[in-house]
Amino acid sequence: MEKTEAVVIRVADFSETSRVVTLFSRDFGKIAGLAKGGRRLKGPFEAALDLLATCQIVFLRKSSASLDLLTEAKLISRFRPYGRSLHSLYGGYYVAELLSGLTEDYDPHPVLYDQAILALQRLAGDADFRSVLLRFEMALLREIGQLPALDFCITCNTPVGDDRRFAFWVSAGGLICSHCQRPEYGSPTITADAATLLSRFSDPNSPIPDIPPDRLPELRRVVTPAICHVLEHRPKMLRFLPF
Amino acid sequence: MRLTDMARQRFETTDHPYGESVGCLINEFARLPGIGRKSAERLAHHVLSCSGEEALGLADAIRQVKESIRYCTLCFNLTEDELCSICRDTRRNQQVVCVVEQPRDIVSLEAAGVFEGVYHVLGGALAPLSGVGPEQLRIEPLLRRVRSEGVTEVVMATNPTLEGDGTALFLSNLLDELPVSVTRLARGIASGSVLEFANREMLADAMRGRQTF
Repeated sequence: MEKTEAVVIRVADFSETSRVVTLFSRDFGKIAGLAKGGRRLKGPFEAALDLLATCQIVFLRKSSASLDLLTEAKLISRFRPYGRSLHSLYGGYYVAELLSGLTEDYDPHPVLYDQAILALQRLAGDADFRSVLLRFEMALLREIGQLPALDFCITCNTPVGDDRRFAFWVSAGGLICSHCQRPEYGSPTITADAATLLSRFSDPNSPIPDIPPDRLPELRRVVTPAICHVLEHRPKMLRFLPF
Repeated sequence: MRLTDMARQRFETTDHPYGESVGCLINEFARLPGIGRKSAERLAHHVLSCSGEEALGLADAIRQVKESIRYCTLCFNLTEDELCSICRDTRRNQQVVCVVEQPRDIVSLEAAGVFEGVYHVLGGALAPLSGVGPEQLRIEPLLRRVRSEGVTEVVMATNPTLEGDGTALFLSNLLDELPVSVTRLARGIASGSVLEFANREMLADAMRGRQTF
């Protein structure tokens, strides 16, 4: 029997009373388990297994490739979007989608778990969803080792620091200075200031920087392709989020 | 061949000592929700042992329900006629519309026996992660109904899950533009329970939704 804290990132009804639940846990990473009686109001789950709910769970780890068996879930908190904001709700779904798609089973990332919980708490508060999600995306990329190089040119190692523009070459994993840039690359470009701002977003210990509204599209030109590249498809929720 | 295909082929084989038709019957029963292979075999044995009249009665009932049941053209409840019995009932308040996810939710609400308005079945809840967007739900017919039939109140009775609440939120934002009052079902402590065993969320909901005594 294992015990940990986890956030529900996917729920599927399995039978009249059971559910298959995917959770991102603090101590074990992503786990998928069968919750027998998970749809009942009473019992060991007490309707705690709702999408984006944070729970204390107890589960039986299966040695084979089959699903783990969830035996208990106690609700810690339920995600409630801020006011009547659909962006806050869709932002929460986006966090679940990224955790589901970009983490591996039984690969624990306590820092990422804390960032996910923090992102959900901020989305449930009055924080700007764009900044919250940008912080989470950058923290996620950093944790899974896919953070683009944002402080030097990946071909000539020129540090980012002056006022030049840099191209972002997603498949090479970083920025290219104007000297190394070739027209055939056709990459989006960002300023050195934007690259520095993005670096600050990737540091989970620093406060979330304010994003000037005119700078956001520039930042998304780097982050969206980086996420799509690692995920190998465009996240479903991006359609609903007006970045 | 993939392992799952091999497993499916193994389980869905029509080979059976009594004959292929029995194998087919077991496969069909095994497709039903909550019915595993063993239960399907038990059901098939029951069909084999009961009288022909009883077995064909079951087959006729299934055929009849599939041929005669359709969606109500107004509220999308299940019915045998163009309009369901609730929409046809002139004693019901047509100006109060209760929005539910599935037709079976209407059965539960009707069993409570306190709602005197009419219903609208969405056909599910918004679940973008599962590919269910607004275009997959019957939202436009609801808006048309509210605009053209003088609806004064829309009661959101979607499931109290994040997706159900999200659907209610999406609809209430759309209905904001129309002259209609939007309410939702109350939530909190179940009658007959005790405060000591209610969880934090239930108590918070109950406190937030408290009413004048």
